[in-house]
Amino acid sequence: MRYLEKIFPFVLIGAALVIWEAAARSGLWSPLLFPSLAKISAELVWFFTRSAPLMEAWVSLQRALGGFALAAAVGIVLGMLMGRSKFVAALLDPLFSGTYAVPKLALFPIFIFVFGIGSLSKVALVFLECLYPIVIMTYAGARDVNRALLWSAQNMGASRAAILRRVVIPATAPFIFAGFRVAVPVAMIVVVITEMVSSADGLGYLVIYALASLRTDRMLAVVVVIAILGYALDKAVVLARDRLIYWEKLDTYYV
Amino acid sequence: MRIFITVLGLFLFGNALAQTPPLIRLGRGFAAEEQLWLMSARPDLTPNQGKRYQLKQILFQANPERFQAYLAGELDAGTAPGLAIIFGRAQGMDFKLVASICLEAAGNHFTTVYMVKDDGPIKRVQDLKGGTIGVVGIKTATDLWARAGLLRAGLVPDTDTKVVPMAFPVIGDAVRTGKVSAGVFVEPFYSAEMAKGGLRKLFTATEVLGYDHELLDIFFSEKFLKANPDAVRAFLADYVAVTKYYLANTEQAKTDLHKAGFVRTPLPVYLKTSDWKRDPNARVDVESLKKLSTFMHDKLQWLDKPVNVDSMVDLSYLPR
Repeated sequence: MRYLEKIFPFVLIGAALVIWEAAARSGLWSPLLFPSLAKISAELVWFFTRSAPLMEAWVSLQRALGGFALAAAVGIVLGMLMGRSKFVAALLDPLFSGTYAVPKLALFPIFIFVFGIGSLSKVALVFLECLYPIVIMTYAGARDVNRALLWSAQNMGASRAAILRRVVIPATAPFIFAGFRVAVPVAMIVVVITEMVSSADGLGYLVIYALASLRTDRMLAVVVVIAILGYALDKAVVLARDRLIYWEKLDTYYV
Repeated sequence: MRIFITVLGLFLFGNALAQTPPLIRLGRGFAAEEQLWLMSARPDLTPNQGKRYQLKQILFQANPERFQAYLAGELDAGTAPGLAIIFGRAQGMDFKLVASICLEAAGNHFTTVYMVKDDGPIKRVQDLKGGTIGVVGIKTATDLWARAGLLRAGLVPDTDTKVVPMAFPVIGDAVRTGKVSAGVFVEPFYSAEMAKGGLRKLFTATEVLGYDHELLDIFFSEKFLKANPDAVRAFLADYVAVTKYYLANTEQAKTDLHKAGFVRTPLPVYLKTSDWKRDPNARVDVESLKKLSTFMHDKLQWLDKPVNVDSMVDLSYLPR
């Protein structure tokens, strides 16, 4: 059973690839629109064996991680403050809940005018998009701290700073990482889209360049690279979570 | 009796279907295609429409989307810049270029302009080193001319000067606020920005390439051409007639287009804008396409191999 559980995801991926190849070879669609896996694989080889496309990936990664890191730094502080201070929560909660659903990407033209066409406008938008899930998850975590733990710490004479450091932050950490897991793919998506809208570099630029050249095979190869990067970043967050919050392993009982 | 009526009904229905003229599903753009739009705005100018062909124009914002719809079998024909057709042929797309819509030409015609801030530091193209040019899209005609301008001035595109895509409506402000060093302007944005002032011409599309060349053309799928040659001939006969009407009655034609909603620019501004060169007989300047193809291959490395331009043009469907 355990063996099956391990191989099942790969069977699913394999089945999806077989269906794709069968559809591509069926002749129902133009190969320019629906390229075969062989063509996409050849473009992946092109991507990983040349420095120029790898540099574009590096540019996108820097922008995504830069915006994410800023959002993490600001988001944790704001979320903690909102979770532990009634005044700050009353001040900021309406702002965050009221604007969460706003597609921040629509503000990109304004960001271009404020921060320019280069990396800064993209990093700023990534920051804004990532800030929301991190703040909201951290806020929820900071409010969810077990009262018994807080009372125990107070009874033992712990200072506010000590309670924050030894009780609140560790108890909120799983929520913070949950926010990170939501924010990381958002960072990649926003970077790629903003590069597709207006950029002279990055993976989004490569996607547009390939599309404009009618190279769907190359475009799909870049999409695969974006997926790989997103997967790797998510795994890195999970790995960091498992290392840092070693006391709380996810233990779900499925019925 | 019932059987007879049913058979007669089926016969009449089949006959009616057979007499329905072929439908041309044509993907169009949003600029410089006036005479084509006029065919839908003023069907009274097209005697063959509805009799020998039917026309359905579908709007697309950009070439890749139009080509994707074409590849998906949703279009029989379309408009596209000469260089996009060359890209398509390079990838093996099965279409033929059958007529010209307009050209970038020197003289009294409009030609796409690249402008800089009037009081800015860019006095000549060489000053763009380290700067940025705003174009409308990557690998579009506006991208090609920008790169041609840079190469002509001894600059290396992307290395010396960045070329970034942005929408036409924001380019004026982007240049004024210094977000980009130079930007591309076509009508009606060119007239609107010139009216505001503060911008100055740096170079034009025809100056940097050095010759008049095709800007927009009409293509048809080879399959449709083979299956419906008479419909295409009738369509092009109407198209040429409308082109001649447009050239002779530009103000009236523009007013009609504005009234029909094909153009959103305020009418007084639209009537004042200068126009691209349009061949009254819709003949394609094949030599200019050959030069473009060579430039795209040799100078820009946009093509893996040269494209046989002669094989992608078929002017035999145009009225003699």
